[in-house]
Amino acid sequence: MNTLRILRDLLRYNGEFAIGLVLVLIVAAIALCSFFSPYPPMDVYVVPPDIPPSWEHPLGTTSRGQDVFWQLTFAIRNTLLFGIVVAFLSRIISLAVGLISGYKGGWVDRILMSINDTFVVVPLFPILVLFYFIMRDEMTWAMLAIITALLGWAYDARLIRSIAMSLRTREFTRQAVFSGMSTGKIVLQEHLPFVLPIVFSTTMNNINWSIGIEVTLSVLGFTDINTPTIGGMIYWANQHTALVSGIWWWVTFPVLLVIMLFIGLFLLAISMNEYIDPRSRLSRLGGQA
Amino acid sequence: MKAYLAYLSKRLVQFAVVVFVGINITYLVTHMTPINPVEQSISAATSYGATSPEAIEMMRQSLRQLYGLEGSPWEQYVNFWKRVLVGDFGPSLSAFPTPVSQLILRALPWTVGLLLVSTLLTWFLGNLLGGLAGYYRNSRILRAFGVLSMGLHPIPYYVVAFVFLIIFGFLWPVLPISGGATMASDRSNTLAFALDIVVHSILPVLSLMAVGIGGWFMGMRSLVSNIVTEDYVVYAELAGVKRGKIMRSYVMRNALGPQVTGLALQLGAIFNGAIITEQVFGYPGVGSLLISAVHSGDYSLVLGITTISIVAVSAAVLLIDLLYPLIDPRVEAR
Amino acid sequence: MIAELRAIPSPDELNAPQTSPLLTVDRLKAYYKVKLFGVDREVRAVDDISLAINRNEIYGLAGESSSGKSSLIKTIAGAIRPPLRVVEGSVRFAFKDGERDIYRLSPQELSAIRWSRLSYIMQGSMSVLNPVRRIRHAFEDFALPHVSAKGADFTRLVERHLKRLHLDPAVLQAYPHELSGGMRQRVTIALATVCNPEFIIADEPTTALDVIVQKGVLSMIREIQQEFGSSVLFVTHDMAVHANLTDRLGIMYAGRLVEEGRTRDVFKKPLHPYTAHLISSLPRIGDEAPKKALEGSPPSLADPPPGCRFHPRCPFAIEICRREAPPMVEILPGHRTACHVAQADPARVRTVA
Repeated sequence: MNTLRILRDLLRYNGEFAIGLVLVLIVAAIALCSFFSPYPPMDVYVVPPDIPPSWEHPLGTTSRGQDVFWQLTFAIRNTLLFGIVVAFLSRIISLAVGLISGYKGGWVDRILMSINDTFVVVPLFPILVLFYFIMRDEMTWAMLAIITALLGWAYDARLIRSIAMSLRTREFTRQAVFSGMSTGKIVLQEHLPFVLPIVFSTTMNNINWSIGIEVTLSVLGFTDINTPTIGGMIYWANQHTALVSGIWWWVTFPVLLVIMLFIGLFLLAISMNEYIDPRSRLSRLGGQA
Repeated sequence: MKAYLAYLSKRLVQFAVVVFVGINITYLVTHMTPINPVEQSISAATSYGATSPEAIEMMRQSLRQLYGLEGSPWEQYVNFWKRVLVGDFGPSLSAFPTPVSQLILRALPWTVGLLLVSTLLTWFLGNLLGGLAGYYRNSRILRAFGVLSMGLHPIPYYVVAFVFLIIFGFLWPVLPISGGATMASDRSNTLAFALDIVVHSILPVLSLMAVGIGGWFMGMRSLVSNIVTEDYVVYAELAGVKRGKIMRSYVMRNALGPQVTGLALQLGAIFNGAIITEQVFGYPGVGSLLISAVHSGDYSLVLGITTISIVAVSAAVLLIDLLYPLIDPRVEAR
Repeated sequence: MIAELRAIPSPDELNAPQTSPLLTVDRLKAYYKVKLFGVDREVRAVDDISLAINRNEIYGLAGESSSGKSSLIKTIAGAIRPPLRVVEGSVRFAFKDGERDIYRLSPQELSAIRWSRLSYIMQGSMSVLNPVRRIRHAFEDFALPHVSAKGADFTRLVERHLKRLHLDPAVLQAYPHELSGGMRQRVTIALATVCNPEFIIADEPTTALDVIVQKGVLSMIREIQQEFGSSVLFVTHDMAVHANLTDRLGIMYAGRLVEEGRTRDVFKKPLHPYTAHLISSLPRIGDEAPKKALEGSPPSLADPPPGCRFHPRCPFAIEICRREAPPMVEILPGHRTACHVAQADPARVRTVA
């Protein structure tokens, strides 16, 4: 299969892609471990508190009597899932806005892009904080995912629009128009395949962005703090002043794990971008000579 | 000149649209939720201590006005806009009766200073080093810097600030990790006071730079490696124009436009980063004010900061847009 | 005064018998060496080319795209970048102040002769000027290091040069995007000739222009060449332009020079079957016979056919063409070709074509 060949080429010739993939797979494996956890994620004081990393508790235990490793498996699973859900939802909006705007042009494009630019320019964090402030305890994991997706589509929509715009002027689009295809059909059948690679790489970046939002909001306690997430773990550690009292493992491991995820996804995104962009492919050929 | 006026009016309209849509989002967020914000605020405000029923009733009254819950939906909407346009968000609930606008004005200089210094430094250094890395592709130092800044770039502001706090607060405590200046400092000695402010700003500035610099570096590097293959650069090289001159006036000069546009597009995200960084280092700016307002249930302060942030960031973007023609004479092409 | 730059060549000097050519290219080989997914590939863009260009002449270089003509002129200009590199041979210029071997010069020495003696008009007039700076700066960057005039004197010198080429000095204050395509090309030519160079390389300077503008630009190049007595290496695939402008003509095919002679000789009496094809495919008024297209396509330079590179498409190919590459031989006075058939019987190619 074509996809498999691309994957093989990327692995063989692109070190960044290989490193990124390994990092993401490690994180995913840890997330999968959560299904084998001996402790329920919500329960506290199931193990003796404040034990440093040991054979029995490889990453130590928290002041709330939770095993850091097993807690971490749930946390990273929820955090990762959050990122994927947000990225998926916001991709739908990005694609719709980008393709319609790029294909239709004219005043449709102008209106959509004005709104788009607003979402790019406006600082989203205070709006999220305001949202939490209003919702308070009603703020659920799913609701945060939806609102984050509603705020986080704009940058990529512009990218997709620029590709759709260049596609519109190509021969095959005109042919499709003359043969009487509807706009929706042209966009979905003819343009979507060209746009998908870039959508894929923006997905990685969007997952990073939304996880960043989630971690930040949870650390501040502005989310549902009872669902274990990476940010939530740091929040509880801060609440128990873990750093001051020397329980460094409670903070260090979640931070390291999430950094691994960020770097892994980012490397996947840039290596894929490079693969898509023909100009950088050319320079790679020249550079190796 | 005509082209510039057309460009100018386009940008002004876009500014108006951004502010209009942005403020409407905050209105929607506050009014379309199933939650009764008045009762929310009261329960949040009273959860810190017992308050007499009369006081609660008074609070409820003033809150209903503040939230613009009086009158028909249209009147509520109009009243909301009136408030926003004059910048009157009423008195703060947590620091009653200080007006919200006064609290924000007091915090604003800290945030603006922090943002200005860190953003300019980040943008300048990132672009300079990225440009050099794109032009001198074989430099080991620049490559190492590229790897480092790329590694830091995808990590969110909070995590980087937090790691800096751990390093410089607990492992190697050499820098102040909290506040904008020493509390008991003697403000009559201007020089010492200024130095104190600078020292306190080092960690927040550094962590903002650590996250931001990679983006500019990578963007500039790939821009430059494309620009060096452009005909006008190749031609200048053919003509024997000096390398330094080509680097400055041909390569960097042409990369400047996209990077200034990039700065305008990033300002919102940079502002988000500053809010979070301030909170980590207890910096007395708008960010810390926002977080503490949420914790103390101060609705009018949260709303005020949100709307002012939107207006301020949009205005900064507008300013960059208006200066853009100085960098790229082809305004009508944009 | 242009005399500030260099003495205007006296008529005697111009008419003096040419002893040595201005440019001598000797058995030049320049290859692209590319590593593609771990496999070394060699593209022989310039393969064993020798030619000479005299003072005060316009030498045309023709050939279809990817025939290696761009690589050849880049190599002559000393403007090659990896992966293109010179494998063998030399490029020598006999400038008035001494002989220079392009590939034996230090970067400083090369910079010093650039623009002052050896100048270049590049393909793609639309994009050779820095889009974000005024034209004035291009003249300063390119020419100022090579002339003694500074400040206001320099400006006056540039303005006088522009006026001589019938250009309004006001263009100096313009940005490139404010000028039309034809105007930009004229400015580029003015920029390339402001230091009164001895040798000018013009790479497809008229390709992107419409016919009327093209005519103006061509007469401008002719005028400059005659006034300054420079030599011009003029590259285009457009045979009609060659017929109107050049004194001598070289034809390239698949990285090799296949024919060279005085332009009118080449047009009148093409010796190489490929040249014959190029000329017969030119439109002529009153000619209603359908043009015969050449079968096949130019060979890949990475894997050229053995023997004569044209043989798979050549209507005259004989056994030896498949085995041996023909050498470049002077068949008629001043008229060389690399073709076994023509070398055996010069009349054969013409009669059939």
